[in-house]
Amino acid sequence: MKNVLAVLKKEFARFFRDKRLVVGTLILPGLLIFVLYTVLGSVIYSPAESYTVLAVRPSAAFSALLDESSFTVTEIGEEEIGEAKKEVLGGSADLLAVFPENFDDLLSEGGFAPVGQAPNVELWYDSSSVSSSSAYSAAAAALDALEEGVSNRFDVNISAGGDLVSAAEAEASYFAMLLPFLILTFLYSGCMGIAPESIAGEKERGTIATLLVTPIKRSELVIGKILSLSALSALSAVGSFIGTFLALPRLAGGSIGDALSAYSVGEYFALFAVMISAVLIIVSLISMLSAYAKSVKEAASLCVPLMIVVMLIGISTMFFTTSAPAVFLIPVYNCVQVMAEIFSLRFSALHLLIALASNLVYIALLVWALTKMFKSEKVVFNR
Amino acid sequence: MEETPAEVYERREIVRAEGIRKTFSLSRKQRLIEKSKEKKKVALDGLSFTAYEGEIYGLLGPNGAGKTTMLRILATLIRPDAGDAYVAGHSVLKEADKVRASIGFLTSELKLEDFFTPSYLFDFFGKLHGMEGAALARRKEELFAKFGIDRFAEVKVGDLSTGMKQKASIAVSIIHDPSVIIFDEPTNGLDVLTAKTVTDFLQEAKAQGKSILLSTHIFSLVEKLCDRVGVIIGGRMAAEGTLAEVSGGKPLEDAFFDIYKRTVTGV
Repeated sequence: MKNVLAVLKKEFARFFRDKRLVVGTLILPGLLIFVLYTVLGSVIYSPAESYTVLAVRPSAAFSALLDESSFTVTEIGEEEIGEAKKEVLGGSADLLAVFPENFDDLLSEGGFAPVGQAPNVELWYDSSSVSSSSAYSAAAAALDALEEGVSNRFDVNISAGGDLVSAAEAEASYFAMLLPFLILTFLYSGCMGIAPESIAGEKERGTIATLLVTPIKRSELVIGKILSLSALSALSAVGSFIGTFLALPRLAGGSIGDALSAYSVGEYFALFAVMISAVLIIVSLISMLSAYAKSVKEAASLCVPLMIVVMLIGISTMFFTTSAPAVFLIPVYNCVQVMAEIFSLRFSALHLLIALASNLVYIALLVWALTKMFKSEKVVFNR
Repeated sequence: MEETPAEVYERREIVRAEGIRKTFSLSRKQRLIEKSKEKKKVALDGLSFTAYEGEIYGLLGPNGAGKTTMLRILATLIRPDAGDAYVAGHSVLKEADKVRASIGFLTSELKLEDFFTPSYLFDFFGKLHGMEGAALARRKEELFAKFGIDRFAEVKVGDLSTGMKQKASIAVSIIHDPSVIIFDEPTNGLDVLTAKTVTDFLQEAKAQGKSILLSTHIFSLVEKLCDRVGVIIGGRMAAEGTLAEVSGGKPLEDAFFDIYKRTVTGV
């Protein structure tokens, strides 16, 4: 136990005394995520630009439906259609709308004509231009609304009807899809930043052999390494998470704070426990890859396929969720599922217990295997 | 003839290797380099020898003879395929922890982490040897003064000269004041001054009653330090005895080449 602590302290000293490591794994990822998400959010939610619509025989009803502050409708003659198309392609105009004759009269008449025989509105646009596409979408939506108004047989969700889940629950299910993936990715990348250096690096530089000739037991060394790396990976994940926490409202438009206040203290404990077990499993796996690798470089490249698998498992909640207890025996996947359950307010203590107990078994097995590896000269000396 | 108790004491075994055999599997690339079709390379072929308490025993042999492999087995870093070895009465196979606690092991492959200072590493390894507080501090002061590390105690290992690194490595390897010192090619790559520090240290350790096992291919080092010598060629013990017995009245270098010729050509 004393030796485990000594190894733990040394690993922490190695990390925290190295400014570059601290900045690179604790601060930079969170900061980058914050900047990236904020920039993305401001692009996605940027206020509408102004669109220029060229219209042949413009319709008053149509123009009235468009937002006046962003749409400028200019009337052109039929002979100018060819020229107008060029303008749309060239970018000086966003949309060309050609209305049939007496379009506004058609609207007031009402009636019905089969598809293909009704009067046609032509909308010409350039799908490779963002503003032209947006103008097209807005115009098409306005025309649909007009058509619906003319031939109204029924309304949808006007007098009654709506989402049965509360706003909090709706937000919760949104985070239930996103957060497990983000948390898993952050944990993995945090660990990937430290573990290969700490194990493959020590092997590469020959410093691990110096440790192995002391009376320390291999198992003590392995436990000390895994505990310290897990704590550091978790810290790094917290750094990334804070970045996400601050930036997500800008990206998603909602408030993550409101969503997070929906969970109870018990659920947070459950979340914490599941994250710890996830980080221990991930660290053990990466440590094994690092012990197997001849160099830090090789270790890092070995980590990539595993990362893809872990990320795929992370997004699995976006496609399907399940409540069959056996599923909670699958490592990593069970963490994602339990996290998703917590975030979507469907927390099950049974599932949590199955996941934690099975993860404990996996962690013990991985530590045992890693100890075996540290005892093997093929592993320690294959440089 | 009956042995007197004093002679019995003098001849107490401290390191004994019994029929050590060790093979390494060769990768395809290694087979090409070695120009060999064999998939296994025999590094040690039933090696046996005994070193006694209080003496300096030298394993002499050319590169690739198996010296380092033998010492690694004694340090419990690798396990023999067959045979067993005993250090201070403990089997390397069955009591690896106890063996490690009783030896100070030094080889060029054991490095200190560049990032830390000698002072930090000394404390760290001291703790792994179960030392603490005042005893550890006293030992640090003593060894750092002896090897002249005190001025560099707070300089990162990565910034030290090769010689100072080697001195720091020696200090770390003998933190726990081991009764057996095993050094693999201790003066390789060192300048004459640092090399002298090392040989002086070994002589001093012997004077304190330590048992020392070292491997080398430098004849002058053996002649200067060793009481007994084992000549390893091709993973086998080609000759073993006191320095005088092995050299047979000739300079050690000439005696070695005679032994080498005899062993390799079988004449």
